Amino acid sequence: MEKRIILPGEKIAEGRINAANTFFDGKDTYATAIGTLDTTDRYMALESPYKPVVEDTVVGVITDVRHAGYEVDLNLPNSGFIPTRNVRITLQLGDFVLCKIKLVNEVGDVDLGEVRRLPIGKVLRYPPSKIPRLIGRKSSMIEVLKKYGNGDIMVGNNGYVWISEKNNMPIILKAIGMIKENAHRSGLTDEITNFLKHDGVGD
Amino acid sequence: MGDEVKDTIMAHIRRNVMEKTLVKGTRYDGRAFDEYRTVEIQTNVIKTAEGSAIAKIGETTVLAAIKFDVVTPFQDRPTQGVMITNAELLPMASPTFEPGPPGEKSIEAARVVDRAIRSAECIDLNSFFIEEGKVLGIYLDLYVLNHSGNYTDAATLAGTAALINTKMPRVENVKIIRGEYEGPLEMTSRPVTTSMIKVDKNYWLVDPMRDEENVAETVLTIGTTEKHVCAMQKGRGSLSKTELLDAIDIAFKRGNDLRKILKEVE
Amino acid sequence: MTEWVISLGGTKDVQLIIDGKRTDGRTLDELRAIRIEAGVIPEADGSSYIEWGNNKIVCGVYGPRECIPRHGASPYGATLKCRYMMSPFSSLEEHSRSGPSRRSNELSKVIREALENVLLLGKFPNTQIEIYIDVLQADGGTRTASLTAAAVALANAGIPMKDMVAAVAVGKASETLVVDLNKPEDNLGQSDMPIAMSHRDKNLLLVQMDGLLTKEEISRMLDMVEKSCDEIHEVQADALRRIYKTEQKEPFRW
Repeated sequence: MEKRIILPGEKIAEGRINAANTFFDGKDTYATAIGTLDTTDRYMALESPYKPVVEDTVVGVITDVRHAGYEVDLNLPNSGFIPTRNVRITLQLGDFVLCKIKLVNEVGDVDLGEVRRLPIGKVLRYPPSKIPRLIGRKSSMIEVLKKYGNGDIMVGNNGYVWISEKNNMPIILKAIGMIKENAHRSGLTDEITNFLKHDGVGD
Repeated sequence: MGDEVKDTIMAHIRRNVMEKTLVKGTRYDGRAFDEYRTVEIQTNVIKTAEGSAIAKIGETTVLAAIKFDVVTPFQDRPTQGVMITNAELLPMASPTFEPGPPGEKSIEAARVVDRAIRSAECIDLNSFFIEEGKVLGIYLDLYVLNHSGNYTDAATLAGTAALINTKMPRVENVKIIRGEYEGPLEMTSRPVTTSMIKVDKNYWLVDPMRDEENVAETVLTIGTTEKHVCAMQKGRGSLSKTELLDAIDIAFKRGNDLRKILKEVE
Repeated sequence: MTEWVISLGGTKDVQLIIDGKRTDGRTLDELRAIRIEAGVIPEADGSSYIEWGNNKIVCGVYGPRECIPRHGASPYGATLKCRYMMSPFSSLEEHSRSGPSRRSNELSKVIREALENVLLLGKFPNTQIEIYIDVLQADGGTRTASLTAAAVALANAGIPMKDMVAAVAVGKASETLVVDLNKPEDNLGQSDMPIAMSHRDKNLLLVQMDGLLTKEEISRMLDMVEKSCDEIHEVQADALRRIYKTEQKEPFRW
């Protein structure tokens, strides 16, 4: 599969097309971020900051406990907020949570719901634009990681990845690093499976 | 500020995970407790300086550059050259570094490196005398370019490597002739520092990554030469007498490894 | 690498061009050797390193992130902050003071105002984007090299931008128009005009000039800039594409 690397400002289509990370100058459509163009002329950004979208799954850390709710660090310019009415459980400072975005207002404030507290683990910062690759087609990549790492992993669209302490941490971190380095390549799932089989814990 | 706050809150919870990993005998990146990340040194990177080096410990990168100027000596040491060390934690090097005047972290880094190099007496400041009231000033600038933990050791390593790389400038009529040199700077020893942390338990983790630094209860840096301890600095936390003595053993062992790497770049 | 031209005396009538060749052996419209690497600072959101002749500059980008101080935030878009700094060891002369100077403050401003034109800052209200530029070794033309590097670092960070930007200085030395002035030409030449240009629509994003020039000369110089900026753009594009190469990458050397 031959993919061409596109730079910001490069034309990706005649006329107007609707795609993320593009802009229309009144005549044609151009890329606004470095990305790839595949054989069907579909453009995908390789790097882009995360913009919160309603119904996205995010991983966060509780940074403040207040009467009205909890403030959550989401790896975003603005912190998220869990209104008390959206949670049944009591959360503590430093807790890791998995939530769904319920509301994004015009200045970027994020309200969260469907909160799940995550057990002790490590939270990792990961480039949000490469998150789809970490999950893999039909979650294939994440399943491989979970299988060989022997523990749970939660991926938030916001670029926070939670890794359960039950995992074989050095191996899983190395595998995640490899996926990040090679996010633009094909056949990555097999490569990672191989790595985990041989260098990792084995079956 | 934002990231600094996040770091402390995260640290609180990360410590538990870190301890569980450590009980298994490994660290996040699979290293042994007393193992450094990969160390690389590149010298003579800045042509405008009399000496320079970049030291990389893992992804942590520090650039050291040496410049000479003709300066007035300190009144109490009229025949001795002047050494001035400055460290810049460039805001590009980490999300937690901020622009602005030097903060306590960069001042501490500069002073620890300065102390290690100065007390090692590896350079003879008396040889920098020019004439009554004029001596050579040697400036050591340390630029932290990427901070993934333990920039202190990388800074000392870069500083020593830069000194090894330094050519003495030609001085005529109390002026430095820029671009002309008179042989290498004489060095009698190779000071390096070894930093380590303690996370609740009684073992030292050498060369902490940023994750580990954030959860450290005790932070310790020990400077060594081939024979002597030449500087010590405890950051936060406390330690016992035996722990300090153990740490000194580790510092000599790992320090000698670092000196071997310095040997290769000469 | 081009050799250092250390002392040429201090007078204005030094012959800078002999038989169409310049002090460093280049022809009139020849750029110095340019090498760009992207993604050199793993901790930063985006970064780049440029070697342009004897200039060595490193650039890091963070953001969009929380705007500090809060009252500096704009509901219309991200606030762009740019800090250009010279290291105290960057020149062959004496060790200079570290920290900002009047010159570095001005350059930070013109670099920021050049890049504001291509960045889609409106997408990130109430946030800030930070650009840090540090000149490690200087040899004339650091502002244009810095701008060229900053554009690569911004693209590397994925900050949405309408266009790539390249910059170069043109000037007049010994009555001749030359591209990409080196230090002696900058110091002893008659005029200097640093220009930054967007790649796609060829807009001028940074224009500065000192010395005396006629309108005709300026027009010819702008044509020279356009040609050179296309060459520079190729080096920028190559640096950005190289990150995504499938083959084994060569380890980065400073």
